[in-house]
Amino acid sequence: MGCDVVTVSTDSKHVHLAWREHEKELAKVAFPMGADQSGGLSRMFGVWNPAFGTAERGVFIISAAGTLMAIEVNLYNVGRNIDELLRKFKANLYLSRKTSEACPSKWKDEGDKTLLPGAKLVGRVHEALQD
Amino acid sequence: MSDYTPLKLGQPVPDFEFETYDPGTGDFGTFSLAAQVAKKRWTILFFYPGDFTFV
Repeated sequence: MGCDVVTVSTDSKHVHLAWREHEKELAKVAFPMGADQSGGLSRMFGVWNPAFGTAERGVFIISAAGTLMAIEVNLYNVGRNIDELLRKFKANLYLSRKTSEACPSKWKDEGDKTLLPGAKLVGRVHEALQD
Repeated sequence: MSDYTPLKLGQPVPDFEFETYDPGTGDFGTFSLAAQVAKKRWTILFFYPGDFTFV
């Protein structure tokens, strides 16, 4: 199952083009760049900053069925970690197939230890995480 | 802002659509959640304050 990353700011698609063409740091960026000039999408996702008329640093994972699976919103001066974002996406994708399991905090990819929530796990998480 | 219901985890996201510049095709286009669901593809929406800033 595939996933598409799309970036969104309140800039126009024309400004997106100009920035992508001008900024060498973006030379390898291949994601579609979305234009939310009205701020409607930013408001819908609760990341609208009315003082600046811009979007906050929010990231949202939406499943193939259109369900909201994860939210992360940081203040303007804290960057988002792409490894953690990918970890969360992979965990959600894995759990969409393995619905009885749970991915603990140290889970990184398929094959890593998962938990089976249930009566037997109560008070035994430490033991369950050992190999 | 009051006319927007906060989105909830585990709940369906209402459909949305916006224009894009797609460096992959070098062209303008549109992106919609309905199209993603029709194609059975996941979506990572990545908001940031503005172009020509330090994302």
